[in-house]
Parts: sequence; C-alpha cells; structure tokens
Amino acid sequence: MKYLNILMLALLVGFASCDDDDAPEAENEEEVIDQVILTFSPAGAGADVVVTATDPDGDGAADFVTPAIALSVDQTYTLTLEINNTIEGESITDEIREEDDEHMFFYEFTSGLFSSPSGNGNVDSRDGAVNYDASENDADGNPLGLTTVWQTAATAQSGKFRIILKHQPDIKSATSTAQDGESDIDLEFDITVN
Amino acid sequence: MRPLLILLIFFSSLNAFGQKQSCKDDCSCTVQGKVVDAANLKPVPFATVQLANTNKGTTTNEHGEFSLTALCVDEFDLVFTHIGYKTLTHHHDQFHNNPVIKLAPDDLILESVVIEELSNANAFKSNTTTKIQGKDLDQIKSSSLGNVLSSISGVSTLTTGSNVAKPIIHGLHSNRILIINNGIRHESQDWGQEHAPEIDASLIDEIEVIKGASAVKYGPNALGGVILIRPPEMELTSHLHGDLNLKGETNGRAVDGNLLIQKGYGNLAWMAQGAARYQGDMSAPDYELTNTGMREYSTAFGLRYHRKNLDIKSFFSYLDQELGILRGSITGNIEDLADAINDEVPDFTSAFSYSINTPKQRVTHTLLKTEAQYNFSNSRLDIAYGLQMNNRQEFDVRRGSNNEVPSIDLELTTHSIDAEWLHPIVNKWEGSIGGQWLYQDNNNIPGTNTIPFIPNYNNTRFGIFITESRPLNPNVEFDFGLRYDIQLASFRGRDSRNDIFRNEQNFTSVSGILGISKTLKTSGKLRFNIATAWRPPNIAELYSFGKHQFTNEYGFYRYTLEGETLSTSQVLDNNTLDVKNELGYKFIANYTFSNDLIQIDASPYVNIIDNYIYKAPGGISGTVRGTLPLFIYKQTDAVFAGADLTINYQHTLRWSSKISGTFLYTKDVGNNDVLFNIPPNMVSYGLSYKTKIGEYEWGAKADISYTFKQYNAPRVIRPEVFVDDPDYNPFIDNNANFDFTKAPDGYALVNLASELSLQKWVFSLRVLNALNTSYRQYTNLIRYFADEPGINFQLGVQLKL
Repeated sequence: MKYLNILMLALLVGFASCDDDDAPEAENEEEVIDQVILTFSPAGAGADVVVTATDPDGDGAADFVTPAIALSVDQTYTLTLEINNTIEGESITDEIREEDDEHMFFYEFTSGLFSSPSGNGNVDSRDGAVNYDASENDADGNPLGLTTVWQTAATAQSGKFRIILKHQPDIKSATSTAQDGESDIDLEFDITVN
Repeated sequence: MRPLLILLIFFSSLNAFGQKQSCKDDCSCTVQGKVVDAANLKPVPFATVQLANTNKGTTTNEHGEFSLTALCVDEFDLVFTHIGYKTLTHHHDQFHNNPVIKLAPDDLILESVVIEELSNANAFKSNTTTKIQGKDLDQIKSSSLGNVLSSISGVSTLTTGSNVAKPIIHGLHSNRILIINNGIRHESQDWGQEHAPEIDASLIDEIEVIKGASAVKYGPNALGGVILIRPPEMELTSHLHGDLNLKGETNGRAVDGNLLIQKGYGNLAWMAQGAARYQGDMSAPDYELTNTGMREYSTAFGLRYHRKNLDIKSFFSYLDQELGILRGSITGNIEDLADAINDEVPDFTSAFSYSINTPKQRVTHTLLKTEAQYNFSNSRLDIAYGLQMNNRQEFDVRRGSNNEVPSIDLELTTHSIDAEWLHPIVNKWEGSIGGQWLYQDNNNIPGTNTIPFIPNYNNTRFGIFITESRPLNPNVEFDFGLRYDIQLASFRGRDSRNDIFRNEQNFTSVSGILGISKTLKTSGKLRFNIATAWRPPNIAELYSFGKHQFTNEYGFYRYTLEGETLSTSQVLDNNTLDVKNELGYKFIANYTFSNDLIQIDASPYVNIIDNYIYKAPGGISGTVRGTLPLFIYKQTDAVFAGADLTINYQHTLRWSSKISGTFLYTKDVGNNDVLFNIPPNMVSYGLSYKTKIGEYEWGAKADISYTFKQYNAPRVIRPEVFVDDPDYNPFIDNNANFDFTKAPDGYALVNLASELSLQKWVFSLRVLNALNTSYRQYTNLIRYFADEPGINFQLGVQLKL
C-alpha cells in the first residue's frame, strides 16, 4: 500500500504542477462591531461615567465583555453611545446615524433604577417610556436613540441595563417593536445606582 | 494490493488489444433488435427492417424481434416501416447492439425513438436504480432538480424555502451523494446545506438514480447514491425537430419556458437548448412568502461527430440563477429567533412582488465537455474531458452599501479527465478499467468586506478502478469492482486577525463493491449489492469559522476543547488533529417483478457510516448581537436503515394505481443519539385514468401523499429558555443534540394533473397542494419561520416541432 501511495503521489505532483498557492486577500471587516462605549454625562458638574464593552475575538467563541455601570443616585445623565469597529478603526456610529430610517435603539432596565423614565423600558412593549433625544429623530419623526436622558432613582438600586439596536429596513415605524427586524447589538450590563 | 497491480498492468497493456479481425472482412456482421409500439410497448410483428439504400432487409417476427446476418458492413442506417406507424431511420453500429425501436403510431404526438444499450449506463447489474424519463419527466421538469428527483421513492429534498432544493437519497445529501451530469462529476460548493445543485432540470432528457454506494465507478462522496443526468441523445439520422414547452403558474405568478431543437446529418448531429424562468414571491395559504422570487436562464449546445469507429461529442451548458430566500428567515440572535418562531406571520411580510432583495443567492455554472469513444473490434475506449466553472455569491442582509455586496463570493474551477476501457470479454468476464484525474481550484473573490467563511483551496485527485461482471449461470450474474483514490489538497485562509494560515494534506482510500443479480422464473428479479464508499472531510467541515444563519459554527481545525471550555483562538492542521475520512458500507437488496398487470419494486437497505461528520451544539456565546448558539463539527458512527416500495397496478386498460412508501430509521451509534434533518417516512397513492378518443388522448391523475411526523427527532430546547436565562447551558447534564422546535406534524397533500394530447400539441393542467393545506416540511431549513407554499395551478402547453 505504501509504495502505491508513493507512486500515486508522484503522479499527482506531476499533474498538479499548475497549482497556485495564493491566500485570500485581506478583507475589511466592515460589518463587525467590536466596541460599544457608553458615556453617561451628568447634568451640571461631575465626571462622565464611561463604560466600554468589547469583543476579544471577533467571530470567535469568547464572550463579549460588558463591565458594570455605576451611577450616582438622583442624578440626570445624558447617555451617548459610540459604536466602533476597532479592527478597521472605523466608527459605526456615523453609519447608523446616516441610516436612521432603518435603525432604532431599544432599552430595557430593572424597574426602579430610574425615576425617569419609569417602567422597565421599551423592549417588552414599544409604549414603554424612554427619553430619546428628539433632535435625532428620522425623517418620519421616529426616534433613533444614540442619545438618551436618564434620571436615576433617589435611593440606591441595582439591576440590569440592556441596549438593543434593531435593524428594521422598510419596517421601522411609530409602532415597530424590539421584536421586529434583526438585532445588530444586544448587550446587557450590570448596573448599580449608589 | 494484488488486484491493483493487475489493474495497472491491464492499463498499461491497453494498446495490445483491439487489433483483432473485423466482421467486415468475412461478411459476418450481424444486428439483432426488437420493435415495439411506443405508446403501449407491445411488440410490433411484421414490421419491415431495411438496410438503407440496399435491398437487404427482413421483417420482425411475432415477438417484434428481428435479426440480420451475414452483413459486410458494421455500420449502416436501418429503416423501420410499418403501416400505421411513423417511419424511423436509425444509425447502427455494432457497439450498440440489441437496439429497441419504439415506433410511434401515425396519429399520436409521440416520436419514434431508439433505445440503445446506454454507453454510460451504470456499471453493475446488481445496482438498484430508478429512472425518470419521457412523459413522466416532461410533466415535472419545470421545477428544480431536487423536486424532480423527489418523485422517486427513497429520494427526498433538503430545502431552504421553495427555491433551493437538494436531493436526499436514503437520508444522505450534499457531499454524501454524487451527481454525474452528462458523464462529468458535478463539482460545486456542495458543502452548504443551502446550496442546491446548479443544474436546470428542464434541459434534462433522462435521470437515473443509483441507490447503492457507488464509489468504485464514480469516486469519492457516493456514500448514499449517485444521480446520473443525461441530456437529449443526438440521433445521427434525424430531420430538424424539437420540442417547445411553455408554462404559467399561479403561485409565484411564474412563467417558464424551454426549447430544444436538433438535427442529424448522417455522421454529424447537433442540438441546441434554452430555458428561462421568471418567478415572483410564492405564497403560503395564509400569507405571502416575501422575497422568494427567482430567475433562471440556461442554455446548452451539443455537437456529435461520428466516423467509423470514432464517436465524438462536445457539450456546452450554462446556467444562471438568482434565488430569493424568505426575508423573515434572517434573525440576529436567539431572542430574534424566539420571536420569529412565535410569529404567526413572518416579519417583513409584504404584498406580492417580483423583486428579489437580500437575502439571496446568485449562482452561475458553466460546463464544457468533450468526450470521445473509440470502438476497437471487441473493446472500446472512452475518454472525456470536462471543464466546470462554478461561481456562487450569497447576499446577506447587511448595513448600508454592504447590502449590495456578497458576503460569500466563491469561484470554483474544475478540470477532469475520465478514461475508461471496456475490455474484450475474457472467459465471460465483462467489464472495464479506468482512471479519473481531477484538478480543482477554489478562490474567494475579494471585495466581500468580511473574512472568508471558507479558505481558498486546491484539490488534485487521481483514481483508478476496475469493474467486472460475469454470468454464473444463465439466471445469475456476479459483479465486483475495486477502486483506489488519492487526493492532494492545499488550503490557504485567513484567521480572525486576518493573518494567513496554510496547510497541505492528502487523503487516500480504497473502495469496493460486490453484487449478485438473479432472474427469477416468475418474471421477477433479485439484486443484492454491498459496497463501500468514502469521502474526505469537506472544506466547511475542516475550516468554517463564524456566523452562519443564526448560529456560529467552527470547523475541526478552528476550535479546541479544553475540558468544557471552547477556544477558537488557534488554527489547527492535520499534524495537530487527525480528522478521518468518512467510510460508508451500504448493503442494498432489490426485488422487482413485472407483468402486464402489476409492477413491484422493493428495496430494503442498511448503510453504516464510520467517522460520520456532523454539526453538534458546542455551547453558547455572548456576542455583540446577544446570545448565539455555537456549533462545532464532530465525528461519530451512524446507521441508516430503511426500505422503499413502489407498486404499479393496471386495473383496466384505462385505470391504473400506484402505491409507494419509504421508511427510514437512523441513529448516531457513537453517542446513542438521533441525527438531524432526516426525512420522515411517507406513503402515497396515485390513481390514473387514460383514454383515447379519435385523435385525442386524455389522461388525468390524482395523487395523495401522507408524510409522517419525524418521530426520531432531537430533543427540543425552545430559544426562550436561552432568552430567560442568558447563562443557560443546555449540555450541563445532557450532551445530546437539540433542536429549537419540535418536528412539524404529519400532513396530507393532494396533487392533481390532467393532460390532453392532440397531434403535435399537449395541453396540461396541474394543481399542486390542491387542498391549499398549511404545512411545514421537516427537511426545510426555514420551517422555523414559515409554511410551505399553498395551492398552485400550473397551465402548460407543449409543441413537438
């Protein structure tokens, strides 16, 4: 058997002399989101609370890392999201802003974390309150949600804070929900208000 | 070892044969054959058989048989005439002996045809085979190849919506079955479950399915069976004639057409074919299936040249398909999946449209083939060269301008040379020896803006085989065959950091077949056949990496397991991980019985596959899109056992019935688990009526089939479980495979067909899913999201030119 294999191999190598050995060209991973930065800016004085969620290995099996968020009690914060593709050094935020008619951020949080908005956000029900920055509304007047305003509870709280970015081409409307379209981002953070 | 040596010696001594005395020298050439009525296949006695341009001739006997002896030529035209029948001229050579001449009655649309012993007929008489041809094929050939094949008992389809259909033979599909299109192995990106064969069924003249493992004649991958596809035969002596088909369908508002024309000039013949299909969104009984339109264009040309002992055929075909995939079948993460499963109507459902957006596939396939046959006085040499170019683009739903950019863009070029020598009969041993060489180059076309899902690769494969059969007594025939293959592969890809990795690897295997066929006294026939087959792990099984539909999957070389922890940070190769070839051992028995009243075809089988490669759940991962289940490739041993049964019964001249059923049981023996996507059992009954009034022929048919629920399906873990507890690990105390929904319930389907023939015209009406039943098919990959299409009226007209 061994000799036959060698003979055949020799034949093959003869035949295969036209082999090319080029690797695929490097591609820009334009789709990838591997960094989401949450910046909570307090109204008035005080330092920004910045939380950076990152992906250690792209499409690999390792989990996305979502550090905990720590906010102060009874404080109004403006949350701005920055979404990046660090592999390409590219800001996805602008892309989302340009396609505001197809994208919308939905928020879900443990009841009682915030005095405004009350409730638990608009993931379960689109009617749930979220303080969207109306200046970001798309041409149809529907919110985008890169910028939102949050007033924390007067007493210490802890719970979860979840951000979902839905891609809803042609179906985004005043009534489209977090269950419509595809999730481009769906991250959950531990949060404390102290 | 020894048979292989003998084989090599045989091969090298090829030139020594074939110089024997010709029958022309001593006027000892002969021809025998049989003349039958093309409509009812009854023998035609007293038909005239004439050697063209001579006065030599004879008539058929009461069994329709004729024989001409003492001829001084070994190639000639035979003219068949009989009152009430269309005259036929047939070009005969001595290497296609025993022709069956089907004479068409004058007043019928049928063309007279000749059935020669097929040149690329399957090698073994002990093989279990089924054919679709003629009228049966005409009626269904506007649908996809997979759907055409599923009319054969034991063959079903693995679909992705209604446009993408892959054949499944006895539970095996994709890389585990083989398609031989026009004598050439069809080479495409067939590792993907949602990659259908790029072959237009409307250009096909005849399909034959070999249900046994057939690696010996055809090479790797033939574990489940082989599908042989043949284009129209180019008759050397024929007037300009052809066939035009047009069809309209209500579901999908599709129009479909194909045209065939051909002509022969004695030693030259040609044919040309074209086909097109334009289809919009299909609809289920309760809603539109948005983005399920398709476009298909195909064309083929053939040229045949015949001179003395030489027969040369060239063939070119081109197919271009754009296939829409249900928009609502795309989900981002496991919560989207839960929502999509629970939605009554899929997301993104909108009004009917012909437009095709993402997700979609665009594929083209070009085949160029030249084959030469040289007849020695008592042996024959066949050589065929094939060039195939396959391009596949897959468009996912993506952000911004990337929506217009394919996320998979692959170009596969395959050269192949097949050589086979049908040796002289030696001591009643009849058979052939041959070799195959194949070279493949697969490249990712740059510009997808995503790291390639599979790497670039090259394959070089060489195989040699011998097939022999010998009658043991007048009723029993013995077959055997042996084959050796070697495949040399080189891979070049990019890891998730865009760094290049390379690997070279070779795969070898020996395959064999043993069979016996026995003709019974009672018009019955028994066949037994045991065969081995093999295939190397395919490119996706070795190297796939990343998101595919709503899961992340990792090939053998792309993950490591340390205890329970899955790591995907390094790229392995064959030095660090031994991935074995899949080896199949298939035993199949076949009983056929046929008389004027009843035809029975029954085949039980068992197929044992060692190192069966499958995708197993490997855990879950938190991604930016939320939780995604992970799948990894693993190997196990699997068993497939089942049986197919078909019975035709002719009640009266006009009424006939057909009963068929398939049964299949499978098991993952290695893990004591069940396998995914195994077609459920099915039974069907069909009732046909045929009559002839003057020049009109009218036929009608009703089929009812019942598909059972797949009882042998994996356990169910609803995606909500993962949503409610993001840290849920489904394998903590049970390592078994799971599915996100249970297998769909059983369902009954009714199809109706009616056909009216008048001289050159055939008008047909078919009603598919006549009761507009809402159902889901277990082997449809989008069964989570939507029902199958509802009622479909198909109105067709056929004109024989």
